[in-house]
Amino acid sequence: MEPIIALENVSFSYKINETHEVSVLKDVSFSIFPGEYVAIIGHNGSGKSTLSKHLNGLLTPGSGDVWVRGHNTKDASRKLDIRKAVGMVFQHPDNQIVATIVEEDVAFGLENIGVPREEMKQKIDEALEVVKMSEFRKRPPHHLSGGQKQRVAIAGVLAMQPDCIVFDESTSMLDTFGRNEVLQVMRKMNTMGMTIITVTHRMSEAAEADRIIVVEDGKIVMDGKPRDIFKHKEVLMELQLDIPAVSQIAEMVHIQIPNFSKELIQEEELINEIKRVSKARSGEVV
Amino acid sequence: MASEFELSRNITIGQYVPTGSFIHRLDPRIKLLVFTILVLAIALNTSYVGNALGLLLSIYLFWVSKIPVSYGLSGIKPAIPFIIILAVLQLIFQGNVFSGGTVFFEYGFILITSESIRLVIVSAVRFVEIILLSSVLTLSTSTTELTHAIQSLLSPLKKIKFPVHEISLIITIAIRFVPTFAIEMEKMMKAQASRGADFGSGEWWRIIQRTKDMLPIIIPLFNIALSRAEDLILAMESRCYTPGNERSAYSVYKALVGDYIVLIIGLLLSLLLLFYPFPY
Repeated sequence: MEPIIALENVSFSYKINETHEVSVLKDVSFSIFPGEYVAIIGHNGSGKSTLSKHLNGLLTPGSGDVWVRGHNTKDASRKLDIRKAVGMVFQHPDNQIVATIVEEDVAFGLENIGVPREEMKQKIDEALEVVKMSEFRKRPPHHLSGGQKQRVAIAGVLAMQPDCIVFDESTSMLDTFGRNEVLQVMRKMNTMGMTIITVTHRMSEAAEADRIIVVEDGKIVMDGKPRDIFKHKEVLMELQLDIPAVSQIAEMVHIQIPNFSKELIQEEELINEIKRVSKARSGEVV
Repeated sequence: MASEFELSRNITIGQYVPTGSFIHRLDPRIKLLVFTILVLAIALNTSYVGNALGLLLSIYLFWVSKIPVSYGLSGIKPAIPFIIILAVLQLIFQGNVFSGGTVFFEYGFILITSESIRLVIVSAVRFVEIILLSSVLTLSTSTTELTHAIQSLLSPLKKIKFPVHEISLIITIAIRFVPTFAIEMEKMMKAQASRGADFGSGEWWRIIQRTKDMLPIIIPLFNIALSRAEDLILAMESRCYTPGNERSAYSVYKALVGDYIVLIIGLLLSLLLLFYPFPY
C-alpha cells in the first residue's frame, strides 16, 4: 500500500545564532499508511512537536525528505496539495479560530482553496455534523467551552476533506470532559476511514491508537502496537513516560493473582478481565 | 471590587442588539454606505435647521430599529468631556476665523460673534448626531456583517492592487481576539492583584500614574499577543491560507428592492443636508 506520509532520514535543527544550532530531529524514518490511527509519544522537549510540524510542511527537514502523497514537502509549488492532504489541529483552541462566527471559521479553509459556495455549504454542514456542533453554527466562538472550540477547529480541518489529520497536543489544554469529546470525535473519524496522527504525552490517549511511535531526543526508540509498547514499562519509565493507569492496575492485581492478565491497556479490557477472573474464582470456592 | 476585573463582561465593541427590525435586515453593504454618506453630509452641514433635522433623523432611526435610545445616549456619555472642551476652545479661539455676524463680546484676542456661537452649538449637536448614527449602525449590524460590508465596499480597490481581503481579515481577527485578550487581561490583573498590585485606586485625573499602574499588565499582554499570533499563523497556513491568492466567499449578500429604496432615500437626504440653503 502506498503510504500517505513517508519520512526518510529526516534531520532538523533550530538555529540559535550564527554559530550554534540545536539538533532536534536525528535521522527519523517512518511511514504512515491510509486508515491508521497513530500516536506519537515522548516527554516534553523530545522533539515530537517539531516532528509533527514536518508532516504537513510547516517545517521542512534540514536533511532527508518528507513525502506527502508523493509530493516532497520541500517543493514549494506543492505546498497547497500537501496541506489539503494533511490537516492539522493545534494545542490551544483559542489560537486557531479565525472568524467571529462558528460556520464562518469552518468556511475559512474552504475559501482559501477556492471551493464554490454551494459545495462549501454542504461540506460545512457535514463537518459540523461529525463533530456535533451543528446547533452552534451561528454562535461567536468565545462563548463556547474549550472542548467545543477544539471541535470547531476540527470541523474547520475536516471540511477540507484531508486524507489525514494531525492532532498536535490537541487535548492538553482541555478538561476531562472536553478531552473525552475530542477523543470521541477522533475515534469516530478514524472509523470513517480518516488517518489520524495524535501527538500526546497522555498514555491513556495513546492506548486508543493502533500504533505508537515513541520519540526520545529526536530519535524513534520504539514503534509498534500499544500492547507491545506498554510491555516495556522500564524503558518507558526511563524515558520519563508512563504506562496507562489501566495497565498499572492490571500489573498490581497480577502480582496478587497470577491468573489475572497484566497486559491490559483499555478500561473495557480491565472490566472484562475482572469479570472473567472473579467468575473463575467463585467457581473455585464452590 | 470584584467587578473591576470583570472586563470580558463589559466589552462594548460590536454590541449587537438583535431586535430583527427593518434596519437589522437591511443589506449590510447598503446600510454601511448610507450611514457613511449621512455622517459625511451631517459633518459638512453648518446650519441650525439642518442639524436639528439630523438629530431628529438619528432619533427616528433608533425608533425604526426598535433599539432603546438609551443605548445611544450611553455612547454619548463618555464623549461629553470632549464635547465641552471642544466647545470652550472653539468659543475662545475661533471668533476671529468665523467673525461674521453680530459681535457679542470682545476682550483681547477673545472675540465672540453670532457666527462663532453657531459653530459651537452646531459642532456639539453634530457630535451627538454622529455618535447616535454610528450607534444605530453598530447596534443593528453584527461585526461579521460589518466586516463583510467593508470588504465588499472596498473590493473595487482590488483593481489598483489594494489588499482588500487582507485588510478585512485583519479587522475580523482583531475583533475575534478582543474577548480573548479581555479574558487574558482579567486573569493577569487578578494574578497581579493577588500579589499586592494596585489597579484603578488612583484618582481619575492622575493619568500618568494610572498608566504606570497598567504597565505590569500591558507588557505581558503584548507578549501573549505575539505568541498567540505565531500559533495563529501556523493554524492559518495549515488551512491553506496564502496571502494574495484568489479565494471564494462563503457569505454572499443580495440587495433587494427595499435596500435600493433605502439607498435612494439616504442619498436624497444627504443631498438635502449638503446643498439645501437652510434659512438658519
